[in-house]
Amino acid sequence: MINIDKVSMKFDMGIEKNFSFKMLFVSMFDKKKRRKKKEYFWALKDVSFHVNKGEVIGLIGSNGAGKSTLLKVVSGVMKPTNGKVTVNGSIAPMIELGAGFDPELTARENIYLNGAVLGYSKQFLDSKFEEIVEFSELRDFLDAPVKNFSSGMVAKLAFSISTIVNPEILIVDEILSVGDIKFQEKSRQKMMEMIKGGTTVLYVSHSMASIEELCDRVVWLEHGHVKMIGDTKEVCDKYYFEQMGRTQEQVDEEHKKEKAEQDKNKKTTKKGKK
Amino acid sequence: MTALKNIIANFKHYSFLMKQLIMRDFKVKYKRSVLGVVWSLLYPVLMMAVMALVFSQMFKFKVEGVNYLVYLMTGLVMWNYFSEASNLSMSSVVTNFPLMTKVYIPKYIFPIAKALFVAINFVLTLIPLLVIILITGSGDTKCVITFWYLLLPYIFACLILFTIGMGLLLSTISIFFRDMFYIYGIVLTLWNYLTPVFYDLTIIPEAYRGLFKLNPLYIFINSAREIILFHRSPGLTNLALCGVIAFAMLLVGGIAFKKKQDQFIYYV
Repeated sequence: MINIDKVSMKFDMGIEKNFSFKMLFVSMFDKKKRRKKKEYFWALKDVSFHVNKGEVIGLIGSNGAGKSTLLKVVSGVMKPTNGKVTVNGSIAPMIELGAGFDPELTARENIYLNGAVLGYSKQFLDSKFEEIVEFSELRDFLDAPVKNFSSGMVAKLAFSISTIVNPEILIVDEILSVGDIKFQEKSRQKMMEMIKGGTTVLYVSHSMASIEELCDRVVWLEHGHVKMIGDTKEVCDKYYFEQMGRTQEQVDEEHKKEKAEQDKNKKTTKKGKK
Repeated sequence: MTALKNIIANFKHYSFLMKQLIMRDFKVKYKRSVLGVVWSLLYPVLMMAVMALVFSQMFKFKVEGVNYLVYLMTGLVMWNYFSEASNLSMSSVVTNFPLMTKVYIPKYIFPIAKALFVAINFVLTLIPLLVIILITGSGDTKCVITFWYLLLPYIFACLILFTIGMGLLLSTISIFFRDMFYIYGIVLTLWNYLTPVFYDLTIIPEAYRGLFKLNPLYIFINSAREIILFHRSPGLTNLALCGVIAFAMLLVGGIAFKKKQDQFIYYV
């Protein structure tokens, strides 16, 4: 379904700096001609893995490890510097919601605009319009401009539009739960439903609990490399312990010690009572 | 052939998005104004009235043997389209960066949608132009509608294609070189004065006229004027030239845009 083949992504950090007249002027008087520093950053380096149809793949790793970049490469927003991504099927990227919302337009108009941006057809939107409105709980505000909405209302609307599809491939950056308590629960459930619904999913999260609950396999990224790939439980445990700076053995030992101490205490208290 | 087919299929697939983007521009532009869409018509009419007043009454511009008002308006309508559309197209990619970093959308949509949005306004301004053609002038300078008018849509289409090509090229350049926004503003002003919009080519010294005739905008405007003012065909050479220029520009802009579009995202 998704094949990621030796994908590398290079960012040129110098872009922001070198391109001005001021810099040109400065470098003219800079006789030493300082050697240009290598200002590259490899957000991804030789990342390869394959996602089968119907599989739920978790992506874990610390901040800046390249998870979001990978999602953007797979969804087509960015083109990899090297390597190739092949995707068979329609993608619904749920990376950032509400792309293309125009604050001046009404909720009704934004449903069509945002829907078009997400690649829905007019017929599809016409048929799903009621469902979107119903889910968003914003029927009374359909013809009000979105700029007058509270941020929670905007999030509810954006969520309702994005999750109306049944895509072949779902790309999720954290389970989103937005809005008030009631809607949070509703949106969380809706996302769980989509992930568990048999589609192919690429799922990024920092919540080990949800990764372990949902994923068939897990890919652990570190500094743009694939550090580990495999069974969910195995990878998650290893990741967790390494992040916390301890190994499994150390933790086991600590557990034993703790237990022994507790037992000791119990014994002493028992003795004391006598 | 298959490449062309692919382009058309791609276009069809994204036509709904294109329509939505054009509609957004339309709705946002006139939101909260009392007259609303009426401004699309009223604004150019009043602007043209001002220009007409300034050039024909204050500066006493005249072009021998023709209805000056029609002469001026024909040039102005076409020039204004080019200047506004190319300018908006240029900035369209940069202003839509937030969108491009979130979802995959073919980027060419933005400059083309802008050029087409302004084209709708352009078509609307043809209505007051037609009214001026019909009611002004007398005797020799009275304009009449002839069969040759059927060629006008072709000329306007060439102008729009040329502008789209220009917009694609400018938006590509401006992403890597943001100074282009300012430079192009100056270029446009200069270009405006070098294009015989409110004067006639005859006031230019003989030696330079050849150069002026190389200006693509002059070729478009002149062809339209031949039809409207002189009731004759602009000639096969001119017509062919219009098409060739339009497609050449579209090709240049399109290729530049296509080659560089994958790098846009780094220059956000």
